[in-house]
Amino acid sequence: MWLPILGLLLGIGIGSTLAIPIPGIFAKYLSVALLAALDSVFGGLKSIIEDKFDGAVLLTGFFTNALLAALLAFLGDRLGVDLYMAAVFVFGVRIFQNLATIRREMLANWMQKRRLSAQGANKDG
Amino acid sequence: MVKLGKQTLTKWQLPLTLVLFLSGLLLILALRSMASSGTLPSRTQNENLANLIKSQESQIAGIELDVSGRRNLLNTFQLNSAAGRQTLADLQNQIKQQDALAGFTDVQGPGLVISLDDNRKDAEAAENLNPAQYNPDDYLIHDQHLLYIVNDLRSAGAEAISVNDQRVVATTEIRCAGTTILVNSTRLAPPYIIRAIGNPDDLTSVLESPENEYNILKMAGFPVSEESSPAVLVPAYKGSYQFSYATPK
Repeated sequence: MWLPILGLLLGIGIGSTLAIPIPGIFAKYLSVALLAALDSVFGGLKSIIEDKFDGAVLLTGFFTNALLAALLAFLGDRLGVDLYMAAVFVFGVRIFQNLATIRREMLANWMQKRRLSAQGANKDG
Repeated sequence: MVKLGKQTLTKWQLPLTLVLFLSGLLLILALRSMASSGTLPSRTQNENLANLIKSQESQIAGIELDVSGRRNLLNTFQLNSAAGRQTLADLQNQIKQQDALAGFTDVQGPGLVISLDDNRKDAEAAENLNPAQYNPDDYLIHDQHLLYIVNDLRSAGAEAISVNDQRVVATTEIRCAGTTILVNSTRLAPPYIIRAIGNPDDLTSVLESPENEYNILKMAGFPVSEESSPAVLVPAYKGSYQFSYATPK
């Protein structure tokens, strides 16, 4: 469990030290891409808990979603339509759904663990 | 976590690590670019722009007020200068008129041209006839003759008179100096051409009146002639007036 968190901290650290000048107009696109990335993260966590984890799905989903979200926002700016909203809605909804599933599963596992340990105590007793 | 063996760990740990790493990077980049885009989300930017517009508009209003004030001032000045110009034009016209009246300009109009000359023919005859009693003065045109004739013309209403192109003005003298006549301190010699502008009929009637000088000269045999003309040119007075003693009251 520590490795992924280390990865996150490493990303934050390197991003802070690496001064990549990004033009201000791209800020919006990066924001939607970040939302898509978060969605991939939570999707990945959910799949881990459900034991349906697929690394390929996670990685490909991460990159394609992030790119598509940024592209959609850019296109929306050019067309004068707020297309980035689609990404915001979809990824926002999915994040909350995944979070809910994660929470439920973790709760179920924890309850089961408690029951098992209680039963074990009874058996021994 | 259920079924967490060493295998499953490695299975999901690595991809998740990578994804989280990239997410962290993206997060920082996004925050950075938000900061560099002028620190402000669009709403505050809009507010700032709106305030800027308001302040500029109030400045514009102030300047417009200033401009209209200056325009009014300009209008006043223009009106005044136009009035001033009008006054100037009026004054200049007055000066022109006064100049003409004072004799400083050539004038033209209907009038008379009178020619007077010494009576040389009769003088010769008289000399030949009676040298002892011959008096040349009797056969010359004198200043009195000119003076009387000029006076006659004036009484007939002549507006401009000249003797041999010397304008007769208020300060003009006509006097004898030896054998010549001085008019405006200029020596004149016969024949004396007197030009006068006025009503030709009036001038002629006074001039030819039997008791007046012209007629007397004519009767005495002097070679005199007079002719009325619709366009008599009387030249300007070439001198100047100077009041050393007289001062306006």
